[in-house]
Amino acid sequence: MESRAIVSYQTPSGQRVEVVKQTFSSVRKRPAKRVAFVSGLHGNELEGIYLCHLLIRYLQNLQRTQPKAFQGEVHIYPAVNPQAISAGSRLWPFFSQDINRQFGGDNGNSLPAQSASELLDDLKSSVDIAVDFHASNLHLKEAPQIRILDGLHKNLLPLAIQCNVDLIWVHPASPMFESTLGYNLNQARVKTLVIETGVGLRLHRKFADQLFQGMLNLLHHTGVLVDTGSLPKIDPPVIAHPSQVALLQSRYAGLFVGHSDLKKNVAKGEVIGEVLSATDGEVLQEVTAPESGFLFTVREHPLVYPGAPLARIALRDEGCP
Amino acid sequence: MKETILSIPSPLGPPTDLLKFSWEGTPIKETVSIVGGIQGNHLNGIYLCSRLIRFLDAVEAEIEPDYILKGRIQVIPAVNLPAFQEGNRLWSFDDLDMDLAFPGNDQGEVAEQIAAAVYQHTKDSQFGIILNNADNHYEDAPHLVCMNPDNLTKDFARSLGPPNAREPENSPALRLCLYNQWTENRLPSVILSAGKPNHLDRALCETLFAGLVNSLLWTGVLVNKRKKTKKYPVRFNNRNNEKFVFAGAGGFFLLLVQPGSEIKKGQKIGEIVDMYSGTVIDSPLAQSDGYLVTLRDYPVVYQKEVLAVLLKKQKFSFWPF
Repeated sequence: MESRAIVSYQTPSGQRVEVVKQTFSSVRKRPAKRVAFVSGLHGNELEGIYLCHLLIRYLQNLQRTQPKAFQGEVHIYPAVNPQAISAGSRLWPFFSQDINRQFGGDNGNSLPAQSASELLDDLKSSVDIAVDFHASNLHLKEAPQIRILDGLHKNLLPLAIQCNVDLIWVHPASPMFESTLGYNLNQARVKTLVIETGVGLRLHRKFADQLFQGMLNLLHHTGVLVDTGSLPKIDPPVIAHPSQVALLQSRYAGLFVGHSDLKKNVAKGEVIGEVLSATDGEVLQEVTAPESGFLFTVREHPLVYPGAPLARIALRDEGCP
Repeated sequence: MKETILSIPSPLGPPTDLLKFSWEGTPIKETVSIVGGIQGNHLNGIYLCSRLIRFLDAVEAEIEPDYILKGRIQVIPAVNLPAFQEGNRLWSFDDLDMDLAFPGNDQGEVAEQIAAAVYQHTKDSQFGIILNNADNHYEDAPHLVCMNPDNLTKDFARSLGPPNAREPENSPALRLCLYNQWTENRLPSVILSAGKPNHLDRALCETLFAGLVNSLLWTGVLVNKRKKTKKYPVRFNNRNNEKFVFAGAGGFFLLLVQPGSEIKKGQKIGEIVDMYSGTVIDSPLAQSDGYLVTLRDYPVVYQKEVLAVLLKKQKFSFWPF
């Protein structure tokens, strides 16, 4: 494994902050494929950092024991926003800026914009396929899923189904995504999958283990790894198109108390939670599934305002059992 | 008229009320919208709104006898009220940049509902002004921001007073800003940026206030029986005209210049000293002559950060009319 700093700058106290890339080279002169794993754009999303740890550990061991297994190249960027990760905050702390809104176009010359630009350039020049790991924010808990912008699904679905996620959500395009790493890599013809899993500032080992198997499968599927023994076992995902996802929102300000776990099929009318008055004993809203389907998002943060998302359900196709 | 255009209940505390102030004269030909406080720590703009509200209330009450209302003026002083009340740029509950939430969604989360209300109440105006400060850690000399201004917008800009206009960063995130939504709606509009966040500069605000009143006179929504409208010279700078001075090291930045001054090529902008020893470790120099429009205010700097933005003199140094 080779380590290289792709971004480096000095802090006010004279120390250096570096964004490190770990590379596992191919035994072939022309690698079969070059795959990157990126995590930590948001410093409070730790699932991806743990996944990168699992991948690095596995690949280091594999390189020692079976170096010829590497027919392609793997690049791992485990912590691309080191200061935000150190602070456990979504935003780059000193600047209060979301680095995942700094990609593409002319974003000025702030340090986050420069770092975003250097990361994007490095990825564009060195990989064919990228996986950008995210957890949810502090408000929602997500089942392991891949989100694909409508229009990119034909290109990305064949890769996404290899990743052992519970759900692939093809969702509508919006200007909001145009400044993200995933969008800009896809625009640059680097096939990029954006994974969302878990919740901010927490690790879910089961989710991480599930995704770890998926990432190994992806590396085999793309020909980056060969002959490593038995292939990882993966399950087929639910695939939801824009009209097949129901968003349940709070109608009131209050406390949301969830009654249902993630990653389960819910029946129409099933209670998912309640919104309670924070000041008296009143139940303001019983939150029920509008249709049968797969519950893949549930609110974790109990404080809610009107309009707050509470849950998402991938609706079951009509006619399916 | 003081009007609550949106009231969002809170789980426990008081509701978040979005207020709009408006005045009408007859006949109503034009509407001018003025919006402040999109970021919670942009205090000059919020204060300027309060000055305007007091003045326009006096005009309406005929305490300012020389002025007559001939159109509609509406002022939304504090868009991001939750952040303002926390003393922060962003509201800590969601850490979302309010100026990346437009055009908003009246069924969405708090920031989206506020953005939708602001946009709906202002989009049909004939002129718009957004009041901003510099970004965190910086100070702006008073200037305007406008994108590809047509002649009408240029004339509007010339009524406000600041001698320079810049173009906004051409980033995908710009599409989510109120200013961009206005311009896409063909609303002649400018951003007026002056001063620094978390500060209220009363003397600066008085100067800007005079310009704002002049702009209301220029649009015709306000008439003064004795005063003629002033037309100020404005230099419209494109992005290529902007020259940046970067920090070569991290440490304390001790500035030697002031925003709003003319800088000579090779002039020292300041010194960066080691935070422990006080040793000078970098002496950033201007790479060209120019008007210092933005200067680092917060003295703690990282390497590679922008310390100053200069508007380079154009070949035709002045093109006022």
